[in-house]
Amino acid sequence: MTLAENLFENLRLELRRGCLTLAVLAQLRQERYGYTLRKALADDGLVIDESTLYPLLRRLETQGLLASQWREEEKRNKRFYRLTPEGEQIFAQLLQEWHSINASIQQTINTTVNPTL
Amino acid sequence: MDLLDRYLQSVRKHLPFERQDDIVAELRANLEAQLEEKESALGRPLTQPEAEAWIKQLGSPIHMAAHYQPQQYLIGPALFPIYRHVLKLALFWAVVAYVIGTVVRFIAGAQPDGAALLDAILHVPLVVLYVAAWCTLAFAAIEYAVTRGCIKLPQLEPLSTLWAPGVLPSIEQQNPARKPRSFAHAVAEVVVGFFLLDWLLLIPHHPWLLMGPGAVILDASPYQLAPVWWQFYWCIVALNIVQLGWNLENLLRGSWRQPHPVKHIVFKFMGLVPLAFVLAVRDHALLVLKHPALDQASRGATLDVINLYVYRSFIVIAAIASIQLIWDFAQLSRNAFRNRAMPNA
Repeated sequence: MTLAENLFENLRLELRRGCLTLAVLAQLRQERYGYTLRKALADDGLVIDESTLYPLLRRLETQGLLASQWREEEKRNKRFYRLTPEGEQIFAQLLQEWHSINASIQQTINTTVNPTL
Repeated sequence: MDLLDRYLQSVRKHLPFERQDDIVAELRANLEAQLEEKESALGRPLTQPEAEAWIKQLGSPIHMAAHYQPQQYLIGPALFPIYRHVLKLALFWAVVAYVIGTVVRFIAGAQPDGAALLDAILHVPLVVLYVAAWCTLAFAAIEYAVTRGCIKLPQLEPLSTLWAPGVLPSIEQQNPARKPRSFAHAVAEVVVGFFLLDWLLLIPHHPWLLMGPGAVILDASPYQLAPVWWQFYWCIVALNIVQLGWNLENLLRGSWRQPHPVKHIVFKFMGLVPLAFVLAVRDHALLVLKHPALDQASRGATLDVINLYVYRSFIVIAAIASIQLIWDFAQLSRNAFRNRAMPNA
């Protein structure tokens, strides 16, 4: 990997990190277990490694944003996650922030590309 | 699936002990669901190469387990800026205290010699290492205690509220070395350097030019300067000739505005040479008796005391000159680094 590619990869991961949390919180408004969550995210175009997603769920649970429960489904014990009330509140705030940042960046890009606008 | 079991077993070994079962059970459920889906899509079990490729894309067991570990710091990002600031202060004052202590020990203590001086200089890196180690250890202990809730340092959290813009230091004076010198300044340096050299060359014939009435007293006393002072004297003359030459060259080549800083450092370094001649004198015999055969018994002890104190004074001068040289060199290196980082600054 060249220096420029390495730099891009680091910046890309940095950019993705916060977005992944937001996407996971968004998906877990509905109860899911790890694998179905990963599939749902991938279906929406957001592929996440197992080694990133499953530990992230644990961290969000430790922070009180998710609650989990072991339950049997299709003859197999699975750990289901969903947002806690605190998680819902934080998710709403983060979503608002994300919309705001997105709009600002879009505005900046438009102004830079066509300054007369 | 044997391969998946072996993978999970390896992951378990790198997980936090108290959560191993829970994490492995969850991983197993997720990975088995994934495997089932893959096999159902293929309509057959995975072959060995396919299973290996699938397990490989999960990442190594260490890599997988590492993501479950809490982030660990020796000194965390909240405490690190304070640690760095305290470390800088501690190192600076430790070196200053060590230098002062060493000089005082040399002045008040037993006979200092070149070996003791070298030993003292070689101890400086050890002092720096000890102070850095203790400082790091202390902050690591604070970090450990804070992260585990053993102590609470509320003043560290709202660090940004501890300062006020009003207490910021005033704008620092521009480094005089970077200010361009005027033509008059450069001419004055050459003229003064020329007269200084004349004055130096006259001293052997007219010692009063240097010592004033002391020249008469020395002449009448039973003591005289040791031959080493001639070496010292000619070194000083040579240094002044070199400096006059440099200043004249700056003037003639039109580079007087910004003299090269390396020349300044080199000149200071050369200034240590005459001091080295004096410090290297055997038995510190900087003054000698005019008539040793006659006066050794009555004045030898007094002479030894005078020589010892003159010698110690020169040690202090050499120490100060060395510290100045190190300081100037550090400043030069810092400016060079800064200029390289910001060539247009």
